[in-house]
Amino acid sequence: MSNGAPQTRTPFHQFEVGFNIIIDLITPGTRVLDLGCGSGTLLQRLRDEKDVEGCGVELDQAKVIRCIERGVRVMALDLDQGLEGFPDLSYEYVVLSRTLQQLVNPERLVKEMLRVASKSIIAFPNFGHWRILLDYVVTGRTPTSDAYPDPWYNSPDIHRITISDFRDFVKKIGAKIEREIFITEDISGPSIFWPNRRAEWGCFQISGS
Amino acid sequence: MKEYADSDGSYGHVSTQFADFEGIVLESGVFLGPLRVAYETYGTLSPGKDNAVLILHALSGDAHAAGLDADGRAGWWDAMIGPGKGIDTDKYFVISSNCLGGCKGTTGPPSICEATGKPYGRSFPLITIGDMVNVQAMLVKELGIEKLHNVIGGSMGGMQALEWAVRHPDMVRSAVVIAATGRLSPQGIAFNWVGRNAIYCDPASACNDSSPGYDYQRVGKGLAVARMIGHITYLSEETMEAKFGRKLRLKDMNGYSYSLGENGKEDGEFEVESYLQHQGSSFMRRFDEDSYIMITKAIDYFDLAGPDGDLTPVFRNIEAKMLVLSFSSDWLYPTSMSLAIVRALQAEKKHVSFVELDLPYGHDSFLVNAGIPMLTRIIRGFLEGV
Repeated sequence: MSNGAPQTRTPFHQFEVGFNIIIDLITPGTRVLDLGCGSGTLLQRLRDEKDVEGCGVELDQAKVIRCIERGVRVMALDLDQGLEGFPDLSYEYVVLSRTLQQLVNPERLVKEMLRVASKSIIAFPNFGHWRILLDYVVTGRTPTSDAYPDPWYNSPDIHRITISDFRDFVKKIGAKIEREIFITEDISGPSIFWPNRRAEWGCFQISGS
Repeated sequence: MKEYADSDGSYGHVSTQFADFEGIVLESGVFLGPLRVAYETYGTLSPGKDNAVLILHALSGDAHAAGLDADGRAGWWDAMIGPGKGIDTDKYFVISSNCLGGCKGTTGPPSICEATGKPYGRSFPLITIGDMVNVQAMLVKELGIEKLHNVIGGSMGGMQALEWAVRHPDMVRSAVVIAATGRLSPQGIAFNWVGRNAIYCDPASACNDSSPGYDYQRVGKGLAVARMIGHITYLSEETMEAKFGRKLRLKDMNGYSYSLGENGKEDGEFEVESYLQHQGSSFMRRFDEDSYIMITKAIDYFDLAGPDGDLTPVFRNIEAKMLVLSFSSDWLYPTSMSLAIVRALQAEKKHVSFVELDLPYGHDSFLVNAGIPMLTRIIRGFLEGV
């Protein structure tokens, strides 16, 4: 596995690229749990490209059925209910991609992630991006963006998280950041200048200490 | 035209076949023999004998799961089994047998006991879900199959699918457990008990010609009442509301009409009443009350976890890929019971998928045509992914 993130010129919020970054982080032949796995695209790619033994968790029935149709193992469970029943350290990786901002209780779930897998990969849209903040200041209204597309009154994204918020949070729960990848409009990398203001997405690999 | 299945292909005409065995030692230690098993098959066994799917019926089912019988009657899961359907008979060799203790061709209470020359009736030995599975395993081996691609069943059939995975881990590649539980709940036992009591309330007078070979008269309607109670538990409040509401059977009537029929008994004014009445009386014609007693007792005693209440160690040897399905509206075997199975499988790091389907039809959702398209996609996908 290469040490840096792949150099890519497509925004994270387009499926493929976000998945490429996560796929690159994952060691072949491992067990991966994908929380909020949607219709199983990431797990199918991990199976095909990295010989990963995967399991997804998804609540949306249509997506769950899609997973089973494509041969992806899936559990129809509500992430807000935690990960009861998943044994400690039963996976090498647990992935939470584009879902953190939608959880009622993110702290509870992230702690559960640290329990069930040795490495947790969490990707979320950065609400600290300068354009969003500028929008806030100038218009005085909750902004929308590609990553936060819905207005506040009709959005599954109930938290507006910044990269600084997330770093503080990881420290607060006593976990450790192993990798950080930031995605700006057209570039991703481990060390861009002033990520909290410039990154559209943050992708973190964390582990319990 | 069937609007519910992806394909409206029927498997066509089928006939029930029989396999005869010397007998079986039941879990109770009692020897039961000779033993006959009624079964049907659909599709062709592959040269490698690796495409067999075993269908496991629920309490009142039989071997006739698909296609048309001699009377042109479609099988109980015809919407799911057939060419191009969820369980595709162009791909799989599908086996369906009547369970031990049943009354549709497999040895059960109506069968003649060799020692007495009379039907076993209620002297039929106590059987378990495990015994039913062991008999199915004998049939499967008899058909020359060492490993099943899949075992699948709902309700009691789901219990059997679980037993299969536990008892014969080397014989099952995958299992689909639908609307089932690892142990029957006290609520389930209670309903079964009321049902059996209805049967026991029937007059027990001396034998007459209407029930040849039996020591007691079979003239009561207890079985019909048992079926009515059972049927209520298989439906949901929502389904009853949608299907019957408060509609009256006689549509031209306004207000009350309380007509007493034969022996001062009312006929039932509401549609839901006449529906249950019909279910009860047609069940009287097609089912045996002693089979009902024996099978419900086997269901009552079903408890994979045992006294510890812990399913986890029981699942340790499972090798099959498991799919557990529950229905949001099933209050008899609710999702929490499926989840208990799932959690125990997870604890043993087994390959398990779990889906709670949002269908309004209650426990029987897997048999209701409106739910078939969704189930078809899931089961077809799972069978292919194994």
